[in-house]
Amino acid sequence: MTDWPTAQLDPVRQLRVLAEVLPGVGLVERVLDIPYEQVWSFLADLEHSVPAFDPMVRSLRVLARDGEHLTVATRMPHLPIPLRFQVELRDGWCLMRSRPYLVGMAAVPLPGGRTHYAHLEGLPVRRPPLLQPLRPLFRRIVTGDINGITRALGPPPPRE
Amino acid sequence: MGLQELVGAAQRGDPLAMAALLRALAPYVGRICGAIALADGDDAMQETMIQVLRHLRSLRDPAALQGWVRRIAVREALKLARARARQLPVDHVADQATDDQPGLRLELVDTLRQLSPDQRVVLVLRDLEGFTEAQAAALLGVETGTVKSRLHRARRAFRERWRP
Repeated sequence: MTDWPTAQLDPVRQLRVLAEVLPGVGLVERVLDIPYEQVWSFLADLEHSVPAFDPMVRSLRVLARDGEHLTVATRMPHLPIPLRFQVELRDGWCLMRSRPYLVGMAAVPLPGGRTHYAHLEGLPVRRPPLLQPLRPLFRRIVTGDINGITRALGPPPPRE
Repeated sequence: MGLQELVGAAQRGDPLAMAALLRALAPYVGRICGAIALADGDDAMQETMIQVLRHLRSLRDPAALQGWVRRIAVREALKLARARARQLPVDHVADQATDDQPGLRLELVDTLRQLSPDQRVVLVLRDLEGFTEAQAAALLGVETGTVKSRLHRARRAFRERWRP
């Protein structure tokens, strides 16, 4: 017998899984009234997008790129040295990990020119569960970043 | 990075390794969850992956990964399929639209929907995973005779549906 039904784990669901097992991160999901292509072409250009939507990042520079794997350096207003991230970047998926911080962005297209967007930030450690009280703090930070993304992408086009 | 190295790095809590492991396991878990949980397959797969990563440190032998993941996927898919079956009588389940499974042979999906979750799971283990009836019984924690009778009923449903 062929053609068995097959389940999928889209990028937003992948990010949900990570958020469930990493106690020190906050995840926020939102439906953006902006086409997926517009959202992802903006986000995938990390050097321009991240400083535009995240007030904690003054600049981001790509140091090395090997296919989907990048090394980037971010400069933050109150840190004297740049913070390096190992990055995995592909269509609809971006995961940035430094020693002290984790950022995840995922998007899937929705009908009607909309986008299901998920964003995660926090501490990239599995233990201890004592970190869980930090989740609301990181969710507030993430909410600010998503607001920054929607502002950077401008108002949605008028509907006919 | 090989699968064993990936498991080791994910066990140590590296989020990049965890994400890579999710992708490596996705085709296999997707087949099991899709065939057992049908419309709830994506949810079953998500729950399976959460359980896999949450308990990965308990896996001592990375070579046993596939069998360990299979047990979790079967359990989670069966849990959602049983919950769905309790919510909807079988004839309603069979009447559901199949637009969420584009490209699939509708007869197959419809026939799977008419089986009980317990019949579907033995069919998946026997025909998709190549298990013997004894192996399926061991995984499900039931008697071999129970697996045989569920399999018999599942195959009879297919024969009746697809009789020329």
